[in-house]
Amino acid sequence: MKFSVNWLREFVELPASVEQLADLLTMAGIEIEGIESCGANFDQVIVAQIQQSRQHPNADRLSICVVDDGSGRTRQIVCGAKNYEVGDKVPLALPGAELSGGLRIRESKLRGVDSQGMLCSAKELGIAEDATGLLILSPEARIGAPIGEIFPTDIIFDVEITPNRGDLLSHFGLAREIAALTGKQIVTATVPKAEALPPQTKAGNRVTISALRECPFYSAHRMENVRVGRSPDWLRARIEAAGIRSINNVVDISNYVMLELGQPTHAFDADKIRGGIDVRLARDGEKFLALDGKTYTLTTRDLVIADQERVVGIGGVMGGEESGVTEATRNVLLESAYFLPASIRRTARTLNLPSDASYRFERGVDRQMILPASQRTAELMRQITGGTPGDSIDVAGELPPNPLKISLRYERCDELLGRRIESKTVDAILNSFGLQKNGDGGWRIPSYRRDLQGEVDLIEEVIRVYGIDKIPSADRSRFTPLSEADRIYDFETKLRRDLIALGLNEARTSSLIARDQTNEPHERIELRNPLSEDHVALRVSLIPGLLAALARNVRAGAERIALFELGNIFSPPKGDERRSLGIVLWGTTGANWRNYKKRRVDFFDLKGVIESLRVPELKFRRGERPSLVLTAEILFAKKRIGFCGQLSNTEAAMLDANGAVLVAEIDLLEIAQSRQRPKLFSGLERYPAVRRDIAMFVAPNVTHAEILRVIDSANEPLLERVELFDLFTEKVGGNAGEDRKSLAYSLTYRDKNRTLTNEEVSTVHARIRDRLQREVRAELRE
Amino acid sequence: MTHPLEQLRADALRDIASAEDERLLEAVRIRFLGRSGAVSEWSEKMKSLPKEEKPIVGKLLNEVRAAVTAAIEARADEFRAARESAAVANIDISLPGTPGEKGALHPLTQILDRSISIFRRMGFALAEGPDVETEWHCFDALNTPPDHPARNEQDTFYLRDGRLLRAHTSTVQIRAMQAAAPPIRVIAPGAAYRRDEIDATHSAQFHQIEGLYVDEKVSVADLKGTLEFFLRELFGADTAVRFRPHYFPFTEPSFEIDVKSKAVKGGEQWIEVCGCGMVHPAVFEAVNAARGDSAYDPEKWTGFAFGLGMDRLAMILFDIPDIRLFAQNDLRFLRQFA
Repeated sequence: MKFSVNWLREFVELPASVEQLADLLTMAGIEIEGIESCGANFDQVIVAQIQQSRQHPNADRLSICVVDDGSGRTRQIVCGAKNYEVGDKVPLALPGAELSGGLRIRESKLRGVDSQGMLCSAKELGIAEDATGLLILSPEARIGAPIGEIFPTDIIFDVEITPNRGDLLSHFGLAREIAALTGKQIVTATVPKAEALPPQTKAGNRVTISALRECPFYSAHRMENVRVGRSPDWLRARIEAAGIRSINNVVDISNYVMLELGQPTHAFDADKIRGGIDVRLARDGEKFLALDGKTYTLTTRDLVIADQERVVGIGGVMGGEESGVTEATRNVLLESAYFLPASIRRTARTLNLPSDASYRFERGVDRQMILPASQRTAELMRQITGGTPGDSIDVAGELPPNPLKISLRYERCDELLGRRIESKTVDAILNSFGLQKNGDGGWRIPSYRRDLQGEVDLIEEVIRVYGIDKIPSADRSRFTPLSEADRIYDFETKLRRDLIALGLNEARTSSLIARDQTNEPHERIELRNPLSEDHVALRVSLIPGLLAALARNVRAGAERIALFELGNIFSPPKGDERRSLGIVLWGTTGANWRNYKKRRVDFFDLKGVIESLRVPELKFRRGERPSLVLTAEILFAKKRIGFCGQLSNTEAAMLDANGAVLVAEIDLLEIAQSRQRPKLFSGLERYPAVRRDIAMFVAPNVTHAEILRVIDSANEPLLERVELFDLFTEKVGGNAGEDRKSLAYSLTYRDKNRTLTNEEVSTVHARIRDRLQREVRAELRE
Repeated sequence: MTHPLEQLRADALRDIASAEDERLLEAVRIRFLGRSGAVSEWSEKMKSLPKEEKPIVGKLLNEVRAAVTAAIEARADEFRAARESAAVANIDISLPGTPGEKGALHPLTQILDRSISIFRRMGFALAEGPDVETEWHCFDALNTPPDHPARNEQDTFYLRDGRLLRAHTSTVQIRAMQAAAPPIRVIAPGAAYRRDEIDATHSAQFHQIEGLYVDEKVSVADLKGTLEFFLRELFGADTAVRFRPHYFPFTEPSFEIDVKSKAVKGGEQWIEVCGCGMVHPAVFEAVNAARGDSAYDPEKWTGFAFGLGMDRLAMILFDIPDIRLFAQNDLRFLRQFA
């Protein structure tokens, strides 16, 4: 809410500087979001009255005005605006004035006609955005008066009031808080006292409440013979400074009192109300044309103000177009009521119709301010519109009860704050907020402090004033065993570090993805209320997000893209969350430097990354997946936990990526759990190894895995390790011939307990060679 | 009078010292130690010496041979060392090293890791909860009943089945207390979601670290000490930390924390970094109701809770101007944090 410092000052003595006031509020938990100055503090800008106006002889769009500047002689001003009439009072910038934005006024000739100053718009004075025409001042403005008299300079605080402090949503309310914080007196002169209120009439035929739960109390005060018109300038300036548009004097007064005292009121055109008012719940499907010009369809959960025939207002939210105050209104019915906060909030939310009134009602208004605010409004209407208030005010229902008494234990206060505070200090603080101590240790809460509901709320008031800077800082701790979440975090931290050591960069993509990033419509877990097309569904895989990041980097000119992500994915249909690892690779690897050569990454670079993670028992098996041209399923302990592969060219082309795009995704749950077994040392080898190579030609369909299996099936206890070190494919007998594949392996033999002889190794090696010849028809090369 | 062998030694050492390269040194060696060299000749002469001179001359001869041999080896070492140095003298050590590529951790991960390690030193264990949550965990249990003005349903993403994406990680407070009786001392890093218009400081998904400590007689003093320590570890020892009263439905009293740190750009201003407070008794009661016991008796146990915005902390500490950079994963951005 926006607060005028001038207005606050009418209620309480403020700290000396704006900064001190801002600090005081900030440290009391009232956050200042902005501070700006407003008003029109210009030398040489005065109120002038237009006496004549005629067309400029040389310019269609200009006119020549003769104005009275109050000095006893007239001035001639050339003017481009059209929105005035002769007799209007307007701001006149005299030669020498400097306006908003540094515009300097001097006497000049405009298209051959002398102009002795400038008539100003609101924007030129910096008091509003309106630049469409002259700022027309009220008829009461004194000719020749400095403009600052009408628009005094002011400081506007934009303050964030937390939802629990509805009592601060008015100038009086904030001033009362400042008074409590500073120990100054609050000025209550403009708040009508109980004895000044008109008598109340329980007039069952004029006002009834059918929905007492949603509206415990309602009052209507009739004003006769009001003259609806423009508000005086001071009133306009006040409400406009707080960000509310001026409508007419009646509506402006209602808004003014809301900003002043915090109680929203509503003015109906009394002659448009047919019969008595009933406060009831809407009928299902009932239609209502609101002041904003829109028609709303209501339900039985919405509270309405109705006459005998129709809804005339949504209680506490917005009045009706048909019963609103217009220029033609003669008599006004002034509503001031208490509405159930939850009901107001529900209606304002479901109709998407938040208003300044609903904002206050849903935070709870002060029950003891309802009638005084009505009286204050009536009094201002009497003064400003000339209306006559009715002798009594019609009421229905009962004012809601005062808040409960709350007890406070001083020891509890000390314990929770971690510091001993004298009970008389505590009492003084609570007294300053208007709380009164009873004999039984209970505290009576003022009607406006609906937020004070328990002991801890009182303790908060104490610390707010006492100052948290006076609380000592303690360094208390506790031993805590490792949790399951700790174990997962440690596992993932190690995984992340392993992956960056392999040259991959960590990405973090959004869990929310666009509809076109999801493959299967039936697998989609969609939001009911998405905000943008890019964030519609929960991801079921990390790959779409990573591919989007890949495409972005390709388009940004990256040469080498190696990204991974560790994150939650949401499995359909329930959205169960699983930790997943996603990898994408594209582009070149290595560098052109000395013996190194850049090359494009391929499937085996991706497989190498996965193998380097040293997950035991990880297996790869040929598979099929849509949108991949080459797929390997990844198996862990015989369970399928993921896949790796290469995108088809069509898919890659959609990312603008030439060459192989490699993707992998692995479910982390099983791996994370298996990692908990500690490794054991297996001793160092004491006897030398003997290495022998086997090179062979095989048919192209014979795989490395098959060859390993054949070697392995020999079950030779001396064979320690088998390594592939060469691979190529060639044609047999020139280009027309069949393919054959050459593979070369290095076999390492060793006995743990002694040095092997050449003969022993040769015998074993020969057996393996035989086996390869026999089982995969290997053509051995010497 | 000096023995001729003494003269021989002096000659040899002089020649060795003045040999200018390895070839000349080899010639010196042959001249003195070769098969027909001067030293070898003396070995022959020994045979014809009188018996009584033999031990004396023999001893001297051995000394001379050892001295000459040692001198030749020492000189040869000098030549070898010089040759080695010459071989590398022209190597340009400013040439690039053999490339080995290392990737980068995402800046958010780096700040999360740093923060988690600080809290772990303070005895916090990790806890977690799901991103997809019930309304009860996100609002009701956190003292934010339906129609409460702080219940930001407009700003919360809902699934079609009525569940929601948690709007804050405070849900994990409830999950942790449902799962274990007090005392409890946990932090929960995780994602949260808000239905905000996306701009330089707002993102649909952001990251928080939630903290909760419930024990006997936990006080505002403990809350203050804990978060001051954390923030000074993160921002530097000379960081100013300020607690401001604030409002959250699930803590009372509640505070926001601002820091002023020379370590960051714009650090001459107070920067808001954390929301925190003492766990509201109503939250304990909600947990008790769900547990079906009175493990969290608000008369016996008190606690503090806090929430830190990690995207914001990373933006402050790395001077990153736009929150959207985190989710774009542009390598030109990520590689700056390698």
